[in-house]
Amino acid sequence: MIINKATIDYLAELARIKIKPEKEEKMLRDLERILEYFEELKSVDTEGVEPVTGGTTFVNVFRNNENGAASLSNESAVKSFPHRTADNYNKIPPVFE
Amino acid sequence: MDLHKLTIREFNAGLKSKKFSAGEATAEFLASIEFYDQEIQAYLEVFKEDALAEGESVDKIIASHDELPLLAGIPMAVKDVILVAGKRCTAASKILEHYYASFDADVVTRLRKQHAVFLGKVNCDEFAMGSSTENSAYQITKNPYDTERVPGGSSGGSAAAVASGMALVSLGSDTGGSIRQPASFCGICGLKPSYGAVSRHGLMALASSLDQIGPLGKCVEDVAIVFDALRGKSEYDSTSADISFSIDNIGKRKLSDYTIGVPKEYFIDGMEREVEEGVRSAIEKFKKAGAKIKEISLPHTRHALSVYYIILPAEASTNLARYDGIRYARRPEAEAAKTLKDIYLNQKSSGYGDEPTRRILLGTFVLSHGYYDAYYAKAQKVRTLIRRDFDEAFQDVDVIIAPVAPSRAFKIGEKIDDPLSLYLEDVFTLPINLAGLPSLALPVKKYSLAERELPVGFQIIGKRYREEDILNLGYQYEMIQFK
Repeated sequence: MIINKATIDYLAELARIKIKPEKEEKMLRDLERILEYFEELKSVDTEGVEPVTGGTTFVNVFRNNENGAASLSNESAVKSFPHRTADNYNKIPPVFE
Repeated sequence: MDLHKLTIREFNAGLKSKKFSAGEATAEFLASIEFYDQEIQAYLEVFKEDALAEGESVDKIIASHDELPLLAGIPMAVKDVILVAGKRCTAASKILEHYYASFDADVVTRLRKQHAVFLGKVNCDEFAMGSSTENSAYQITKNPYDTERVPGGSSGGSAAAVASGMALVSLGSDTGGSIRQPASFCGICGLKPSYGAVSRHGLMALASSLDQIGPLGKCVEDVAIVFDALRGKSEYDSTSADISFSIDNIGKRKLSDYTIGVPKEYFIDGMEREVEEGVRSAIEKFKKAGAKIKEISLPHTRHALSVYYIILPAEASTNLARYDGIRYARRPEAEAAKTLKDIYLNQKSSGYGDEPTRRILLGTFVLSHGYYDAYYAKAQKVRTLIRRDFDEAFQDVDVIIAPVAPSRAFKIGEKIDDPLSLYLEDVFTLPINLAGLPSLALPVKKYSLAERELPVGFQIIGKRYREEDILNLGYQYEMIQFK
């Protein structure tokens, strides 16, 4: 058993997600099966192998340091905020209670 | 007028010679959608007024005798993970049911420059997670060849729309096979470009090191033309690049110039007989036409599934964290919450379906303290080995031909209860994403909806940024077919 209910609860807490109680058992079984499948990776010798760190090997892709036009207008960027102040800030409940 | 039977070039010629107007063409495709989509259910939203207006503006260009771009008036469908400004973009998820895109994706901007017509947004698996389009939170899309079967996924709507004549071409996205597999299941062509060849700006990110947007169409030339319009370095995607590609080179270099690799690990027990026969017959056709065929080995192929399903959820769990109800549309269940934490919990539990939830948990697990090294770091190292397999093979061959999926389109509901069995559908496609290579999926022969024979496809995999090679070979394969 690689994981159990306590693991799932912990992962859900980390990911800020809530699993519906009626779905918990199947979720645990599915994840268990998938993680068991991954055991086969242990057989691969990766001694001295560098990990891939992204889709490309490009480094330092910069833009010019100039005062360019905004890529997105403030108005379109804030349009999908659920609650907006008059001056286009996103209004949310307190971060610290 | 059966305009859906035309190629892009034929369509363009028809517009220029005034055989039909762009307005008429758009209206015809909209009528097809109204008629066929009742059953196929490919479209999530149809842009009726906007499409007709776009058609009309193309007619104005024709009337003014200005230069008419090749893609002008071409009716296309867009997978609902690609942003079209001002339009709803749901990623086929309830969590974005009320989200409206604030900008055009880079690919959409490029297509607008050529005055393409956007017919609407098409269905996919939720957040592009899936291989059947059954994970959509909205509707099940049917395979036009057999409506009891899936069109494939995650770009099932994109494939079904083109296959049933409800769009001339479509845009999809491919992270582990999501363009190639549905293209094959629906008897059409689909291209997954090299990682970085097409900008991901405006694509709702699933796995940032694997995603690519690509075209689906009835023939290789159409796919090549759309790719040519989409590709290019974009200011807003630092992983994008300009590549050496000329549409005029498609059809030029002789088949006898090519050495084609056939990887032995891609022909496995449990493959459907029709798939193996179809792919081997395609290889035989290339051989008869003068190409050299060489058996090669990609020894780490069997580990690709584990590698992919560790890396993808890890990246996806990060990318999906943003839909927490704070910046984008908030669900009513989250609206009722009083604390920030409850907003997050209610938003995600009411918004995400089972597959995204599963992958978020999986991703969180493989990235968490105590498990990171054994899973994520290990997977990224094996990914290096998978890449090396391809690099070494490509010393001896120019392209690689392989099957796309172990089976043809399966029945709706057949695999949905067993996530692992769906993941196994991707074994032939996902190594290519892990290596960032381009791959073209095309049917082994021409299929007709009337005959209802389930399509078989194969893929031509190229070296990084060598879309010219795979499109050239695909185009010439189609020529051989009609001899």
